[in-house]
Amino acid sequence: MADTYTFDAKDLAEIKKITDKYPEKQAAVLPVLWYAQDKFGHTDSSVQQLVAGTLGVPEAHIRGVVSFYTQYYENPMGRNVLDVCTCLSCQVCGGYDMLHYIEEKLGIKAGETTPDGEFSLQSVECLGACGYAPMLQVTNDKFVNHLTREKVDKLIDDLRAGKQPEFESNPMPQHEKGS
Amino acid sequence: MPEIFIDNKRYEFEEPGKVLQFMLDNGLDLPFFCYHPSLSIPANCRQCMVKAGMPVYDREKGTFEIDENGERVIRFFPKLMTACSLDLADGMVVLTHHTDELVKQAQADNLEFILINHPLDCPICDQAGECPLQILTYKYGPEGSRFEHKKVHKPKAIQLGPRVILDAERCINCTRCVRFTDEISKTHQLTIISRGDKNYPMTAHGQIFDDPYSLNTVDICPVGALTSADFRFKARVWEMNQTPSIDISNGKGCSTWMWTRDNLVMRVTPRFNEAVNDHWMPDAGRLAYRRFNENRISKPQLRLDDAEQVRTSWNNAQLTLLEELEKISAGDILVIGSAHASVEDNYALRTFFSNKGVSEFRFLPHIIPGSGDGYLISDDQAPNTNGVRALGFQETDEKTLIKLIKSTKPKMIVILDDDLLGRTSLTPDHLSGAWTIVFGTNHDETTRTANLVVPVTTAAEHAASYVNVDGRIQRTVPAKETLYTNRRLNLEMSMGRLDHYGTKFDNWVTDANRVDCISAWEFFIRLEHDGDAPKWESSRQIMEEIAGLFSTFRQVSYDRMDEENGIQLKLEQDTEVKPA
Repeated sequence: MADTYTFDAKDLAEIKKITDKYPEKQAAVLPVLWYAQDKFGHTDSSVQQLVAGTLGVPEAHIRGVVSFYTQYYENPMGRNVLDVCTCLSCQVCGGYDMLHYIEEKLGIKAGETTPDGEFSLQSVECLGACGYAPMLQVTNDKFVNHLTREKVDKLIDDLRAGKQPEFESNPMPQHEKGS
Repeated sequence: MPEIFIDNKRYEFEEPGKVLQFMLDNGLDLPFFCYHPSLSIPANCRQCMVKAGMPVYDREKGTFEIDENGERVIRFFPKLMTACSLDLADGMVVLTHHTDELVKQAQADNLEFILINHPLDCPICDQAGECPLQILTYKYGPEGSRFEHKKVHKPKAIQLGPRVILDAERCINCTRCVRFTDEISKTHQLTIISRGDKNYPMTAHGQIFDDPYSLNTVDICPVGALTSADFRFKARVWEMNQTPSIDISNGKGCSTWMWTRDNLVMRVTPRFNEAVNDHWMPDAGRLAYRRFNENRISKPQLRLDDAEQVRTSWNNAQLTLLEELEKISAGDILVIGSAHASVEDNYALRTFFSNKGVSEFRFLPHIIPGSGDGYLISDDQAPNTNGVRALGFQETDEKTLIKLIKSTKPKMIVILDDDLLGRTSLTPDHLSGAWTIVFGTNHDETTRTANLVVPVTTAAEHAASYVNVDGRIQRTVPAKETLYTNRRLNLEMSMGRLDHYGTKFDNWVTDANRVDCISAWEFFIRLEHDGDAPKWESSRQIMEEIAGLFSTFRQVSYDRMDEENGIQLKLEQDTEVKPA
């Protein structure tokens, strides 16, 4: 298992750049885990082992870090991870409707991955975008706001085509000019 | 001298330190869970909160501000402080639950918080009775919980490693176990996984918690989250009697507590000794308690001609040895002392046979190079190598011994508690030419080959001294009764609650499990009928005699060993002092 994942010379050079920024190896754990997750798509036990070995940090410590942050995927996920917010504000504005619509559309339940490995769907707590509810986040990255069924359809088609959503600037009413 | 005011009482301190440790050193009480004097201070349990402040200093006047009552004006820290991480400072004022309602309330609230998801399974929990959470809740906690919801459930009874079992629900995430593996044993095997109310200590994926010091995490766990796989559900703490002793499973001689119930050693835990083991001990030493209970030789065993060994009376055993001694001249006797036996027993052995004119005293150190770790596990497998050496037994390796037996063909071989056949290449054939007497504690290959087996006491049954690898002499205290000792009469023995108040008519006390054995030195006294028997009445007296004869042991006494938690000896290479 462990040797299915390796860092090549280029990866090691990148990791060296990261570790050089910090006085201690342990401080580089988070960015190196990010790097590994970007490369392998997740940070499961064998990736944790690889990162621990590369940095010379105890494996148990890496596991503690990975399991603390929900953004690190301890299990292999689909290529695109849809984190649909179902916390209070989104819930009130139809977060569950969006979640159930996506569930129906992809034919999976929240917490599952499509058989083709394209999508994983998760129901998550507040992502701090209550002003743009309901919303979802794509693979720890872009927020897709003010969700509607049409927006979801387009998003999923785009993602299938390999196109990531654009960053969307949503000024709050009080910040808009003239208010 | 810098001063600090705790609950309006003035204390002086010399060394910089933390408030909690200072309070503990001064016998003051403050509840805490995560703090441990030998580990780093994370201050994560929040239980030791106190109100602390400093006098207001007027820089212009160069004096402390004084209020209308003539007292110093104190500026308190805006929030309560954790005493474990609060540095002592000159003039500091600390208010605890004794004088401050807020602190009292904070401690009770914090306990209520810690207890929210803690299962109420004290009646079946091994930690009950020695559980800081239980004790502190009783002393400082709220009477009940206001929490009406379902508790968070976590994994239970997970085998973390071969010796440690985790009940994650009981864990309060103090991280003592994690810090222990990071800072003391340095295996870094544990971490806290997951987060929020779901977190608990765990190893890395697929790793087992096989740290050679893993059971120390069970000791320092302030709740019943980590329990010993071996001791689990065996005994309640209040049923056991606690006797100070030392670990005899290796050369380091960690200070221990021996926990006994009904004359069985139930478990061994470390006892604080700054000079040897701090608060810790290796797992192997704890599991060695079995040798005190199991497979013990009870009653002397005699081989009739070439037949099986049969049990015999003490009287018969003594007469048989005396008969053999009369037949065999002193020059044909080979005496092998033992690094596994105490200083006193080796000395008695040597004294008895020197009086008979024997001059060949040997011993085989039991050292396995590379088996130690330079910390509390030594290469030396025996607790008393330096002690036997200092008594003038000649250090011999197995090849030399076999050669010696082959060339001198001794007619009698005396072996003191040491499984020579089991641990060396010595075979029964080597011993077949001689009449062999073995003083043994447990049945092993050596005792099975012997012509006469004299059952002797283990470290759990006698008061005796051992010199560890660093030359520190420490002693044991009898923890379990033999057939001939009585806890109520023998003032050397400690008494637990059941020993005091239980009787053998109670159904929770039994008189069983007493082994028919005596200390080797007692056996030698019984052998002397003619009035020149040594006038020993106790091992205490033997040590006094040794202290008078050997320069290495000068000024060593049981009282001093007890008072100073062992005495560092100055080991000399040339300790070939002949007893007078």
